[in-house]
Parts: sequence; C-alpha cells; structure tokens
Amino acid sequence: MEAGFAVLIGFIFAASIYLMLSRQLIRILLGISILGNAVNLLIFTAGRLEREVPPVIPDSSLVPVGATANPLPQALILTAIVISFSFFAFLLVLAFRTYQELGTDDANEMRVAEPKGEARPPMGY
Amino acid sequence: MALFGVDYTVIAVLAPFAAALAAPTMVRVFKHNAAWVLAIVPALVFLHFFRYVGAVSHGETFTEGFAWVPAYGVNFTFFLDGLAVLFALIVSGIGTLIILYAGGYMKGHAQQGRFLSFLFLFMGSMLGVVTGSNLITMFIFWELTSITSFLLIGFDHLRTASRRAAMQALVVTGGGGLALLAGFLMIISVTGKREMADVIASGDVLRESALYTPILIMVLLGAFTKSAQFPFHFWLPNAMEAPTPVSAYLHSATMVKAGVYLLMRLNPVLGDTSAWMTVLPLFGGVTLLVGTLLAVRQSDLKMMLAYTTVASLGLLVMLTGAGSEVAIEGAVLYLFAHALFKGALFMVAGLVDHETGTRDLGRLGGLRKAMPITFLCAVLAALSMGGLPPFIGFIAKEVLYEGTWNLAGRSELLTAVAVTGNALMLAAAFAVAFKPFLGKPTKTPKPAHEGPVLMWIGPLTLALCGLAAAVGVGWSGPSLLGPMAGAVAGVPVEGDYHLIPAHIGAPLYLSLVTVAAGLFVFWQIDAVRRGMAGVLKAIGWGPDRGFDQFISLVVRFAGAFTAIVQPGKMQIYMNTVFVVVAAALLVPMIYYGEGPSMPTMPDFRFYEWLVLALVVIGIIAVLAARTRLIAIVSLGIQGFAVAVLYMLFGAPDLSFTQFMVETLSVVILALVMTRLNLTAKDNRPFSETISHMIIAIAGGIGFGALLMAVTQVPFDSRLSDFFAANSRVVAHGRNIVNVIIVDFRGLDTLGEISVVMVTGLAILALIRIRSRGSKVPGNPPTGGPLKPVSEPHPEVAS
Amino acid sequence: MAVSEHTADVSHAMITTPVATADWLVVSPIIITILGGVICLMMRKQTKIQPRIAIATLGLLMLSNFGLLARVMDKGVITMVMGQWLPPYGIAFTVDATGAMLALIASIVAFATALYGVGDSDAASRRYGFYPFLMLLMTGVSGTFLTGDIFNLYVWFEVLLISSFGLLILGSDKAQLDGAVKYGILNLIATTLFLIATGYLYGLVGTLNMADIPRSVAALPNHAPITTVAMLYLLAFAMKAAAFPVNFWLPASYHTPRIAVAGVFAGLLTKVGIYALMRTMVMLLPVHHALLAHVLAVVAVATMISGALGAMAQSDLRRALGYLVISSIGSMLAGIAVSTALSLTGTILYAIHSIIVMTGLYFVTGMAGRMSGTFALRELGGLYGKSPLLALAFIILAMSFSGLPPTSGFWAKVLLVDASLKSDWPWLAGSILVAGFLTTIALARIGLYAFWRGGPEGTPDGTAFAYAENADMTAPDVTAAYTGMWLALGLLVGLSLFIGLAPDGLVAIAKTGAAGLVDPSGYIGSVFGGTGGHP
Repeated sequence: MEAGFAVLIGFIFAASIYLMLSRQLIRILLGISILGNAVNLLIFTAGRLEREVPPVIPDSSLVPVGATANPLPQALILTAIVISFSFFAFLLVLAFRTYQELGTDDANEMRVAEPKGEARPPMGY
Repeated sequence: MALFGVDYTVIAVLAPFAAALAAPTMVRVFKHNAAWVLAIVPALVFLHFFRYVGAVSHGETFTEGFAWVPAYGVNFTFFLDGLAVLFALIVSGIGTLIILYAGGYMKGHAQQGRFLSFLFLFMGSMLGVVTGSNLITMFIFWELTSITSFLLIGFDHLRTASRRAAMQALVVTGGGGLALLAGFLMIISVTGKREMADVIASGDVLRESALYTPILIMVLLGAFTKSAQFPFHFWLPNAMEAPTPVSAYLHSATMVKAGVYLLMRLNPVLGDTSAWMTVLPLFGGVTLLVGTLLAVRQSDLKMMLAYTTVASLGLLVMLTGAGSEVAIEGAVLYLFAHALFKGALFMVAGLVDHETGTRDLGRLGGLRKAMPITFLCAVLAALSMGGLPPFIGFIAKEVLYEGTWNLAGRSELLTAVAVTGNALMLAAAFAVAFKPFLGKPTKTPKPAHEGPVLMWIGPLTLALCGLAAAVGVGWSGPSLLGPMAGAVAGVPVEGDYHLIPAHIGAPLYLSLVTVAAGLFVFWQIDAVRRGMAGVLKAIGWGPDRGFDQFISLVVRFAGAFTAIVQPGKMQIYMNTVFVVVAAALLVPMIYYGEGPSMPTMPDFRFYEWLVLALVVIGIIAVLAARTRLIAIVSLGIQGFAVAVLYMLFGAPDLSFTQFMVETLSVVILALVMTRLNLTAKDNRPFSETISHMIIAIAGGIGFGALLMAVTQVPFDSRLSDFFAANSRVVAHGRNIVNVIIVDFRGLDTLGEISVVMVTGLAILALIRIRSRGSKVPGNPPTGGPLKPVSEPHPEVAS
Repeated sequence: MAVSEHTADVSHAMITTPVATADWLVVSPIIITILGGVICLMMRKQTKIQPRIAIATLGLLMLSNFGLLARVMDKGVITMVMGQWLPPYGIAFTVDATGAMLALIASIVAFATALYGVGDSDAASRRYGFYPFLMLLMTGVSGTFLTGDIFNLYVWFEVLLISSFGLLILGSDKAQLDGAVKYGILNLIATTLFLIATGYLYGLVGTLNMADIPRSVAALPNHAPITTVAMLYLLAFAMKAAAFPVNFWLPASYHTPRIAVAGVFAGLLTKVGIYALMRTMVMLLPVHHALLAHVLAVVAVATMISGALGAMAQSDLRRALGYLVISSIGSMLAGIAVSTALSLTGTILYAIHSIIVMTGLYFVTGMAGRMSGTFALRELGGLYGKSPLLALAFIILAMSFSGLPPTSGFWAKVLLVDASLKSDWPWLAGSILVAGFLTTIALARIGLYAFWRGGPEGTPDGTAFAYAENADMTAPDVTAAYTGMWLALGLLVGLSLFIGLAPDGLVAIAKTGAAGLVDPSGYIGSVFGGTGGHP
C-alpha cells in the first residue's frame, strides 16, 4: 500500500511543481496548496499505513486493542496542516494586494524591487 | 621589566594608541603646540627601546607580553633582538620628530587633531609590526599599518586623487596582507611554533617542508606589495597625495620598510635557497632600476623622492636576497642610512612646499637665502643619500659594494645594477637638495621664508644623525648595526665599520664611478628627464593605469555576472530551485545505484482505488482547467478526496481538519479571485511546457521513489508504542492523537498557535496599511526630517 | 469510566525529579517573547508604550539568555523535556554552547533592533504589529536555537518565517509587496523541503529527538535514502541561509523593508539556516556529511564569491548589503564543509560576528539614508563631513566585515582560513581570502562614495556638499528617535570591537560548541543520561 501511495504522492508533487513553475501568481498558489497536500500525505505514508483503525483507546482498555494507525504522523500533520493553511492564506492576500498595487499577477512582470535596466554602480573614486 | 604585571614593552607599543585617543582633545586645548606635549610619548618609547641596545648588542633576545587568546594559542607578545630594536628606535625616533613636524605642517588645519591621531595609530601599529613576536599578533599590526596608511593617504578626502591613491594603497597592500596571512598560518602549521623566537630558531624545517614554495610565494606577496616592489610599486608614488609628514614617515622611513623587515626577519628560515636568492635579487634589482629611472623623470620634489624610495626598497630587497653576510650588512647599513636621509629630505620637501606654495623644481630656485636652515638640512641629507663621506650613506655604500663585488656568481650583474641605481639616486638627491636652493630666486606662489622651529627641528636632527652615526661608527656599528645584521643573517656580526676605508679596494673605486656618473646625470638632468618622458610616453601603459582598468574590469564583470545569477525574474528563480530539488533527490539514488526495490501491486480495495483516482482526476482538472472557477473547484475535489483517504486509513481527526481547511481555501480563493481581472489561461509557450514538465516529473519521481525506498526500510515504531502505552495510563486521554498534540508534543501546538496569531495580524497589516511611496522606507517621501510618532496617523486606512 | 483512575508509578514514562529552577532558563526565551508579543499586541493602539514594552522584554530576554549561557558553560549541555516526558518521547529542549551563544547574540541584536525601531517605526507599522512581529520572530529564533527536536525545529522555523513576512510587508510599498512575494514563496518552499525531509527521516529512523537520531541513523542498512534526506536538509537550510544558487529571495527582498527590519533579518534569518546546517549536517548525519563535503565546499565558494561580486555591482547601498550577507554565508558554509572542531569554531564565531556586523551595517546605512534622503550610491556623499561619528561606525563595521583587525571579523576569518589549510583545503582557504579581498574593495568603494567624497556624484574636488539646511540631526522632536538609533549602533559597533580586542571568552565558547557538534556524546548524554550529561 505504501508503494501505491508513494506513486500517488509522486504524481501530486509533480503536479504541484508544474503549477509552481507558472509565471502566474495564482497558479503558483494553487501549486502551493497542492504541495501542502502532497507533504501531508508523505508524512502520513512515511509513518506507514494501517487501514481504518484510528488510534483511539477503547473505553474498556488502558492501551489500544490490536493494531491501530500510527498516531504520531497524524499529530505532526495536524500541526503542519494548520501552519501551511496560514501561509497559504497570507500568500493569497499578499498576491491580491500585489495585484492591486502592481496591476499584474505575472510574477515575471513584478520588477519593482529588482527593476529592469538598473543604474550601473558608480565608477571612478 | 614590568609595571603592574604588564611588560614595559607592551606599554611602549600601546602608548601611541593612547596618545591617538588624547590627540584631538590636546589639539583643541593647545592648538598646534600640542605637538610638543604629544611628542613626549614617542620620545619615551624611544628611550624605552634604547635601554635594550646594550643587552641586544651582546646577543641577548627578549620575548615579553601576555597570553591574549589562549583558546586559540595567540599571545600578545613582543620579541626584541638587534633587528627589532633598531627598527623600533627608527619608528619611535623619527616618529617623535614627525609629530613635531606635523604640529607645524598642519598648523591651523581644522582636522589637525584627527591627523595626529591617525599618525599615532600608525606609529603604534608599526611598532607592533617590528617588535611583534606572535605571528598572529604581528600580522594584526601589519594590517593596521595598511589601514592607517589608507586613512592617512586619503586624509585630504575631498580630492579625487587622494581617494584614488588611498584606494590603491589599500587594495595593493591589503591584498598582499591576505596572502601574508595564508603564509603565516602555513608557517605556524609547518613549524608548530607561533612565537618569532621559536620560528626563526626552527632551522631547516621550513626550507625542507613540502609547503616551502607556497609559503615563500605568500610571504613574498605580502612583503613585495608592502615594500612597493615592481610591479606593485605604483601605489607608493601615488601615496604622495598624503600630507608630507605622512610621506616622510610612512612612505619613506618606516611602513614601506615593513616588507623588507619581514624578509630580513625570516631570512634565517626562508633564505639561503636558490628560489630565495633568485627571486629577491631579480625583483629588487628591477625595482631599483625602474625606481631610479622614473625618479629622474620627475619634476615634483615629492614624486622624485618617492621614486627614489621605491628604488631604495628594491636595493634593500636585492641585497637581502643576494646570499652573503656582507651584502646583508650592506642592506642593514643602507636601511638605517635611508631612514635618516630620506625622512629628512621629505621633510625638506614639505618645508619648501609649505613656505613657498610649490614643489615644482621648475618654479623653485635661490631659496638658500630665504631658507638657510632648510638648505643646510637638505645638503646634509643629500650628501648622505649620494653616498659621500663623512655620512652614514657613504659607509653603507662601501659595505654594500663589498657585498655585491664578492658574491659567488652574479656579482658583476648585481654590482652593475647597484652602481647604476646609486648613481641615479645621487643625481636625484642633488636635484632635490640643490636645485631649489641655488641659482636665482624665483617668484613662488607664497613669498619664501624660513619655516617654524617645529618644522626644521626634525630634518635637522635626522641629517645630523646621519653625520653622527658615521663619525661615531665605532659605537653605532657594534651597538646598533652589527646586532641587526646578525639577527638578519642568523649568525653574530661584529659591526666593525670605518668611515675611512681600511684599504683601497674595489668598493672605493666603485664609489668613485658612482659619484662621477651621478654628477654627470645631475648636470644633464633636464635632458635625462626629457628622454625618460619620451620613453614612458612610448610605452604608454603602466601598472598605475592597469589598476584603474583592474577595478573597472572587476566591477563590470561583477555587474554582468550578477545580472545572470539574479535576473529579477521569479520564473527563473523557481525553475532553478526545482532543478536543484530534483537533482538533490535523484543524484544520490543514481550515485549509489540504490533505488527502491520494485513494489508489488498494492492491495487497495475497490473504494480505495476510487478515492485515489478522484485525487488524480482532481489534480488533472486543476492542471487542465480553462477557467479559474473550474480550477478552484477541482482543487476542492482533490482536497476532499485526500480527506477521505485520511478517513479510510485511520485518521478521522486529520480528515476533519483537511475538510475544514480545504473548504476555507476554496472559499477564500473564490472570494479573492473573483475580485481580480485575470487571464484564465495558463499560457506557457510550448518549449516552457516541456521543460517545466521535465522538471516536475523528475521532482515527482524523486519524491515518490524516495518515499518508496523509505517505506521499504523496517519501521521503528517505538515513539508511537510509547504514546499508545502511556496515553491513557499517564496522560489520561483516549484519543492518542489528541494526547500527542496537547501533551506529549504540546510545544508544537504552542508554536502552531503563534503562527496562526501572527498570520492574522500580518494579513490585517497587508490589508490596512497603504503605501506612501517613500524613497527611504520609514522616511517621509521627501527624505526630510523625521517626524515624531503621533496619533491618529493619516496613512492608516480607516 | 470503566478503568479506575490510578496514580501508577510513572517513572518509566516521565522524569520524576523536579526541574532545577535555573533550568527554566531553557524555555524562558519562548515564554518571555510570546508574552511580550501578546502584550504588545493587546496594546496595539498604544504606539508610544509599545517600544518601551519591547525594549524591556528583549532586555529581559538578553539577561535570561546570558544566564542560560553561563549555566551551559558551567554545567555542560542542559536538557529540559516539556511535560516531563522521558526523551525521546516528549519534546526536549537541549541547549549546548552553540545554541546558547547564538540565542544570546540574537537577543542582543533584537534588543538593538527594538532600540533602532523607536525611530524607524512609524505609528502605522506599530499598530499593525512591528513590535509583536519582532518579538514573535525572536520566539521562532530562540526556539530554533534551543530545541532538541527536529519537528519542533520546523515549527519554530515557521514561527520566525511568518513573523518575518509580517515585518517585511509593513508599509505596503510596491517594492515591499514585490519583494515579499518572492521572499514568501521561495522561503515557504524551503521550509516545506525541511518538513518533507523530516517526514522521510521519521519514516527511516522512527524518531524525532536530535540526540536519538545519530544513533538510529548509524544503524540504517543502505546509503541512498538517508543520503538523499541529508541532501534535502542541505538544500532546505542552504536556501534559508541564502547559499548559491538558491539565494534569489534575499537580493529580491532585503532592500525593501524599513531598515530596522532589514537589519534584524540580515543579522538573524540566514544564520538560523547556518545553525540548522551545523546541527543536521555535522551532528545528526555526520557520515553523510563526508559525502556531501565537496558539494558544500563548492557551494561555499560560489556563495562567497558571487555575494562579493554582487555587492560590487550594486548602485543601491541596501542592495549591496544584501549581497554582503550572502558573501558572509559562504564563509560560514566553508567551515561546515571542512567540519573539524577548528573549522566549526570558526563558523560559530563567524556567525556571531556576522549577526552583529550585518545588522550594524544596515543600521549605518539606514542613518546614512535618513541624513541624505537616498540610498543610491551615485547620490550619496559627504557623510564624513556631515557625521564623523557615523563614518567611524561605518569604518569599524566595514573593517570587521572585511575581516580586518582589530575587530570580530578578523578572528572569524583567521580561524576559518587556518582550519581550511590544516584540513588540506587550500582552495577553500584561498577563496575565503579572495572573497575577503573583494568585499574589502566593495566596502571601500561604498566608503569612498558615501562618506569620503564631498557630495553626490559630480561634486567638484575640494568642496563639501552643504547639508546644513537639512538639520534633521538637531531638531528637538527627533532627538529621542536618533538616540535610540545611535544606542543601537553603538551597542553593535562596540560589541564587534570588544570581540576583536578580547576574543578569548567567545573563542572558548565557540570551541566548546564546535566540539559538541563534532562529538555529540555530551549532547546525547544530557538527553539520555550517561557521559558528560546531567539528568
């Protein structure tokens, strides 16, 4: 099963990279969103897969009964998911504001910080 | 000898630094007369080192100081032997006179205090160079002399020429300094010694080391740049942009000799090899000839002296590397003589400039009446420089000729070079000392008159010292010069010199030839100058222009290079990053030939296949979407499918969170994107589509293959086992994931909450703050004065 | 509940001995900065009180970190496990000399930034979080230096990253937004790579505790996966550290925010990457480091030279400084490539030095910009006459950055060159020297243009540009603002000089830190008990 997930995750990574290579900010953002999913699935799979049984201890026992899914990756992903969503939200608003100020969502056209044909450094002494 | 546990030598070296701190205040209080008070400091330093003369002449050496950086084996130590003591005497002695001279020269200058301060900083640094024992400590002082030299050359900073000269000196000597650092570190590494006394006692260790050649190259680079050897000589004449006290002190008497000092210092351990005895005479000889030829071409007093300084440094390097004890004695005598006469002549040039307003030989004449004391100084010093009796320059010349004449091999060549150089130097010396003073008085920019006592006391003292050292050579020889030569040669040297030659031999005849030739050139100096000017014009290029070209080339290359690596286009940045990502993933696997082993067909159930397919379809739809809305909706489908996957594989909490996050993402995306007027299509050119696909697929394969390989390694589940075992028993929670989040790994959650909080604030800032278009962020648009913080602020959108 | 609550013997799961009071210093940086940040946030509208709170908070942080360093030097590596869970199960904060020293220097620089910010942050930026961002940035930075858990390290990275986003966009200038887009996306990719690598690492070794990882890594059967993971860490942190060729984000953004922000960024953010590289490459994955040493060395050389060249090619003072940050990163990477106790001592020392000096250089630049209303090299000039004190600060910092004595930079450079030569990396040593040479030229040119010459380009020889009417330095209402700036600058310049003149203490600390990275038995012992540790 892990191998199957690995193939799927590889595909998701490829798709997100392809999106992020776009010059349109909005596609880069879509890529980032998908990238987050790929990473979370990756951590999930790296902790190995177990079908259906959530890591919850039954009321009648002190320890889980039988094999359960690995709880640690789930906890890590819960942290990561919230963080990556925060970043996504920030970047989205940033892209919006940038579009407002610069009038473009083409990342290649954003040349305010690093303008084209910048002044040469002074020569002489 | 120590005060409160600090050796006097340490205090002596640091005293000028203290004086540097005091100088500005002193000048504010006492005006230019502060020089009289401040000169006490170097005078006391001189007396301190003078006390060592007796002991050192008996072959004793001293290492004084304290442990400075024991964690790295660096001591703040100073080593005194014949070489160090005489150098320290020169530095502090001439330093005393220079401080006085500067008091007069810079009288009334708004920045006189700062100037004296820089001079003192240099003095302390130079003392540290010539007495430094620990190689690292010595190197620190070496660099400080370069920096103070930079500051002093550029002192008149409003002039472009000064700034250029300062930059040149910094680049040349600073670059050499870096090489020297490498050389010193290798010496330390090879010998295992850090103290000078131990290093120079290490015998053949360095000569026999495999690193000898690199060490030699590095040390020579340091020495040659500092001592202005051809082809690094060009910075020294340009350094004449500095006020004359600086030229007299740094750029003739002391700092430029640091390179020669270094060669002399290390001669016992680096010398006596064929490389040493080839390279030093070669570069020294060429420098001597180039320097003298360029000197007679000049018509500016200071420039003429500057080029003779270059020549003299060449002569010293040549003699140091000639490979005989007598040649070394000649070098030592000449070095001492040079410090006295050249320092004096520079101060004379400064006096003439100061009192007449010009240094141009063509505009000066007949000053002997108006400036008799200056004339006397000039004549005394010039006779010493010309190598005439009864001056120390004469004795030096006799000994150095004896040295070159008696060399095994190459003696004819080196002697001829030395004679030519000395003859031309005599001509230059006489031109400086006689031309302005003899003949008919000319009209000068300022009416000529004798300078103040502050200014002539220095040159007069030095010129008289040149006379006294020769007359009293029975004392100065064995006490000062012999011990120094001994330290350089590595064997005791008697120091038995005579003003009247003991026998009539080759040196005397060579002297006669030198004087005759020199006088001839002096007589024909105008013709020689014209001739040299013609030759130089024909050549057209020199390292001085080369320097400008070098800097310009470096800056232009830097510009072109930076335009390539930082082109300002986001897409190039992203491409590069993901190419590197793919390489990082794939290269190790290829390098080791250890890809994951071929997996068997995964045993997914039907509904699991369905969800997996949904993820893939969602993503393909995002990629292929023709409108934004479809892309967003497809993103949502993909996200929800992932959430279902979590549900199917035992992660309900995760699944729920994923649903939430995806829903929010889709909603926000839709909200934001409907406000934008964007082109929907992903219009990449075909070539880009292909290259991007290659990068993306390579990355995808890398991530997938690595994950496959990782999951094929047996899993170590002890963390989760522990959580399972203790979640309820100790932490009292049944949902293990929740227990991990709030208890076992509660700190992660604290960080996560912080991120959410900051994100909220950052988004608020993004939305609410509106730009005000300032050139300087945080400054009002005009760049005018700062405004106090006040409420309410108009720029904040309500 | 079916199962009765019982107070079982928990010693198999938890540390039962109480934490020594002084060991709370380990987590107090987190607590102090979060509290300070929250208080500032609550007083969002009190823009005049905020700076005082921030200065007090960061002053306290400085004291706390000083105490922590003293304790680490006294007792060795200190570990505190959150919630008292036995390592490696709970999150451990493990502090060695490297972490404690860097945390201290970081807090000093943050303190200086808070001081500088008094004059540099306007009401709008304070209302929208200048001080809270600064303090949460320090939460992230402190957490990074102190944590002993690799996933937790990721969380702190994100905290400092999002705080840096906030600081970067305060002002909403076009250039700031443009810079923030590139900074944001590229840095997010870097931290995501970090998270990915951590996911893989967990899949391979099943543990997240940094003392636990080296032992588990040693037991792995094949090379390729763990080497790839090492490569990913290298890439992720090299990106954070702005190493060539993945440093685009730095020159694209560092010149856009206000100077207080650029200064603290230049000081801290890239060094966090260097720290993480030392931890992962040297301590966690040492075997794989040997394989990657050549990659690291080539990257180091490319970084230091390209940075120095970039600095020379700029016409804007702030942009030149951005490239200087990159150049200094190259030197630190060189030490990590060589990876001996001596070279790492050099890297740690260099990091400390660079934190102080880069921030200082930005502050000098900021004040120069204020005085002359521009950062363009062609338009600057005459500042030596205008403010000799600023010129003095500049020359000391420039010397320090160029590695000239008697400043902190000299020792850092000497150690790195020495270590490279000793370990038979002559070309690496040569590159450090050449890069130093190039940066000397770059900085000397800046000094020549901005300070020495009489005025802007075209000012005739011998005349000084008249700054007199622009009397911002004497206006009464800005005295306080400028006082803060001068204090901040003085603190940093003084520190660089102090380290240059009395480096022994710091060298000893860096040496201890480096030894602990090369041989982590003390670190491991502190977490699990045993050699050199204390429970």
